[in-house]
Amino acid sequence: MNTFVIADPDKCIGCRTCEIACVVAHSETNILTQENNDIEFNPKLSVIKTVEVSAPIQCRQCEDAPCANICPNGSIINKDGVIYINKETCIGCKTCVVACPFGAIDLVSEYKDGEVVNQENLKCIDNNKCYFKERIIANKCDLCIDSPDGPACVKACPTDAFKIVKGTHLDKSIKNKRKKSASLL
Amino acid sequence: MSIINIDKELCTGCRRCANVCPVGAIKGEQGKVQTIDEHKCVVCGQCVQICSSYASQFDTEITSIDLKLKERGMLEGTKEPLFAAYNMGQVDLLKKYLSDDNKYKIVQCAPAVRVALAEEFGMEFGKLTPGKMASALKKLNFDRVYDTNFAADLTIMEEGSELIKRVTEGKNLPMFTSCCPAWVKFAETEYPEILNHLSSCKSPQQMAGTIFKTYGAEIDNIDPSTILSVAVMPCTCKQFECDREEINSSGYKDVDIVITTRELAYLIKDMGIDFINIDDEEFDKPLGEYSGAGTIFGSTGGVMEAALRTGYELITKKSIPNIDLKFVRGGQGLRTATVEVGDLNLNIAIVSGLKNVIPVIESIKEGKCDFHFIEVMTCPEGCVSGGGQPKLLIEEHRDVAYKKRKESIYDHDSNLKIRKSHENPAIKKLYDEFLKEPLGHKSHHLLHTNYVSRKEI
Repeated sequence: MNTFVIADPDKCIGCRTCEIACVVAHSETNILTQENNDIEFNPKLSVIKTVEVSAPIQCRQCEDAPCANICPNGSIINKDGVIYINKETCIGCKTCVVACPFGAIDLVSEYKDGEVVNQENLKCIDNNKCYFKERIIANKCDLCIDSPDGPACVKACPTDAFKIVKGTHLDKSIKNKRKKSASLL
Repeated sequence: MSIINIDKELCTGCRRCANVCPVGAIKGEQGKVQTIDEHKCVVCGQCVQICSSYASQFDTEITSIDLKLKERGMLEGTKEPLFAAYNMGQVDLLKKYLSDDNKYKIVQCAPAVRVALAEEFGMEFGKLTPGKMASALKKLNFDRVYDTNFAADLTIMEEGSELIKRVTEGKNLPMFTSCCPAWVKFAETEYPEILNHLSSCKSPQQMAGTIFKTYGAEIDNIDPSTILSVAVMPCTCKQFECDREEINSSGYKDVDIVITTRELAYLIKDMGIDFINIDDEEFDKPLGEYSGAGTIFGSTGGVMEAALRTGYELITKKSIPNIDLKFVRGGQGLRTATVEVGDLNLNIAIVSGLKNVIPVIESIKEGKCDFHFIEVMTCPEGCVSGGGQPKLLIEEHRDVAYKKRKESIYDHDSNLKIRKSHENPAIKKLYDEFLKEPLGHKSHHLLHTNYVSRKEI
């Protein structure tokens, strides 16, 4: 079973530290302290606040991922148990955004070496001026797949609201529930 | 608009700012927008450092980011995320002045700026770059690049002499340092009854400002009314200090504009200066010359160490046996020691983190305090962790960054040839040519101040 990260809404104080941690974890240099003025500030999870609740929402790494199923060019794959978007081939078609039941996917500008990537063949005309449009791609939680320390949001949360849920945890929990049910019979 | 603000549109009510506020000035319920009690607030900016709630480029229902930049006095085109807790910037205003050739523009930089500024350009935590900073400031069109470290040496001359006088006369002891404007505001607001225990010395920033517009104007043959005196500080409260009405003994406002370390970085980026590859330059002389004692002011315990290096030699007329007074260095809280200075056993205390000063003040009020000299810094590690320093986004970076910045400060000190304030040749010259003597008539007029109660009755 795929591992995923989920947060306890009762513990979440809505401070958005997890979003910051996410951005930092996916940046090559410290985002506030890099010399380049363009900052790739695209968290892969987002804190939702309503009157009743605050909680970070992020990808559940679905086993039968609707985003992957619907992607027209196979850009979403299961890579080592992570539902992973291949940036190189993503065409920003938004189908995955529509398909995701959690709202865990965003569309963002693509960056390479600290600079926004333009699509050279799509010219835009605005107010009689012609310019290049930046390339837009899908963006979602990758469980910090490149980091040996695991998901940054989990570590950064000041209230320890996050939990890493592994397949084995679920297996155990299912077994225990079954035992309980059996004993009630 | 006050100096420290919380953006109502961005605050999520997580109250982490309220937890770091040393004076309980941040009010509000969990989950609701927080407000700042301006009377209580000491403008230290620790809330600005910790806030992680920001305006996303995707938020469409809030005031536009361009407008927010303007409201916050930041430069157009600044790309970094805007956080809910922020300090009112002066950098946009300064940028306008920098191209004004009718102004004679003098800048000073606090010791903690040179150990943190490089972080804004992707260099490692605590990287020491005084030469690059001086060079960048010259490129920014400042006519004179002077230094607060120089004035820190001057502060030691006055404060050390004041301490000796008070100890000899047995009056108004213990004496507290008065370099930290947040501490001064706190004392004025909450404990006006102990104001006579504060050193009457102005802070290094203000001493520098006064000297620039008097002696500095004289040596450069400039009309002081045309001087624009700018300070680069790790501290958000320094703007509050420079705006105090009584701080004008040069005949003009001693310091006109204060920007933070972060704001200097915005300006350098905005002007397209390649900070990483810029060649080192020196500060201008004489008011940019400093000793190691001046540079350690940026760390908790630094003022105390600098004062002891000079105080010991002024009292005993002997050279201090060991110049590295490691027992005053250290971390948060309250540290105490007894130092043998000739026949005198000097009881000293160092407070970092404003909350830790309250028990000391209470013991003075009860008549149970036997310290002679107490250094107080509001921020957790002294100025290196000030509210205007580069923002640390991840909590686990905090300790590392503070440690590295402090190490850099002490390295800078140990690598300087002159490490005692009273041996700084520019300071000697200033007394010879202009001030005559510490605590003298001219020093008293230019370098000392008094305090007012701000207590609400």
